[in-house]
Amino acid sequence: MMAANDRIIFTDRGLSRFDPLSRIIAFDDFDRGGCGWTQLTGNYEGSLDTMLPGFAQITSPMLSTLGHWETGSHGGIDGSYALKLATRPDRHALSVGIKRLTFRKAGPIRFEFYATFKPEANSLALSQRDIKSIGFLFDLQSGTEDGERVMPHLRYLNANGDTLQEKWQFKRHRPTISDIGDAGETVSHFHLADANWEDLPGGGQKLCYNEIPTKVNWHYVRFDFDLATMQATHFQCNDRVFDLATFDSIRIAAMPNLWCMLNICFFVETNTDKRGFLYIDSACLSGDF
Amino acid sequence: MLRESATVVVARNETWRGSASTEPFEAGWAIEAVIFVRALKAPIGAMPEVRVEVSPDGIRWLPEGTRFALPAEEDAMTMARVSHFGNWLRIAADLHADTELTVLVTMHLK
Repeated sequence: MMAANDRIIFTDRGLSRFDPLSRIIAFDDFDRGGCGWTQLTGNYEGSLDTMLPGFAQITSPMLSTLGHWETGSHGGIDGSYALKLATRPDRHALSVGIKRLTFRKAGPIRFEFYATFKPEANSLALSQRDIKSIGFLFDLQSGTEDGERVMPHLRYLNANGDTLQEKWQFKRHRPTISDIGDAGETVSHFHLADANWEDLPGGGQKLCYNEIPTKVNWHYVRFDFDLATMQATHFQCNDRVFDLATFDSIRIAAMPNLWCMLNICFFVETNTDKRGFLYIDSACLSGDF
Repeated sequence: MLRESATVVVARNETWRGSASTEPFEAGWAIEAVIFVRALKAPIGAMPEVRVEVSPDGIRWLPEGTRFALPAEEDAMTMARVSHFGNWLRIAADLHADTELTVLVTMHLK
């Protein structure tokens, strides 16, 4: 497999912080705008009331300079803006941002990003347990009619209740699929519910939360996936590479309108009644073609 | 380079009762905003005015000075134009007792 670094001398300092495969599918530096990351909406028919509640709560991503009440704008790694996902101020609130693509070759892809997370800084306290989790997922479907819809999920479970957890988890449990409306054409499934997450073996990892809610440090994440075999091949956060021997994805029957789908989502979930924020400085999706 | 422009849905099918507001939204990159409020269902009772609010931190809010009507019937829309709002932006209203309004609120920023 050829990496882009093998044949290109990067003159773009933003891209040079990634290790992409030979084809850059998307390089999203949020100093250039929203880069196609949008609000996830649930499916509906006839009325927005038919949307599943887990989706109805989701808010819109925004461009942020990470402005704080006592230190001002934090900024990104080498620019002013990051993509920000914000939850509502409720315990177990969730927000999701999505980028929607399709793939042109069923082969290896690599997703890399720099991220950080914090609760709303509305109390003079460490607040380290206020975020429950942050994570990402792919929503994929084969291009062949005997294929599947495959959804690899990974989350960093930061805290649960009064306890820091600090570990990576995955989800392979198939969610309940609900009919939406009466026409028999629309279904929905809330795959991000706080249930059926499994610990990634050896997945404990302490991150750089820092010492108050307004001190922010960026973290690197890389996830490799093979669209031919629909298997994950590499997961890394900062200096740690994790064993994926037991990892699997949510797998459901192919749906009639999703061929070659390549969607990517980020999400953040709260552990208290404070808003939770996930910030993405930049992200790079690359492929081996 | 083209100017950045965005349409953002800041409240979707939310039913407002009592003191209500949109979630905090950061738009410091934009110099102007047009804000639309659409009634997705028939309002119950008489609607008060809604006010634009700004904030230094997304936590503490002040009226920006712009006030405009809330829609009075299903599918009606109202709007306001705002500039010089700094970074944080939202709209807020205090609905009378026993009244409610289900809203779609969008911000159009550039």
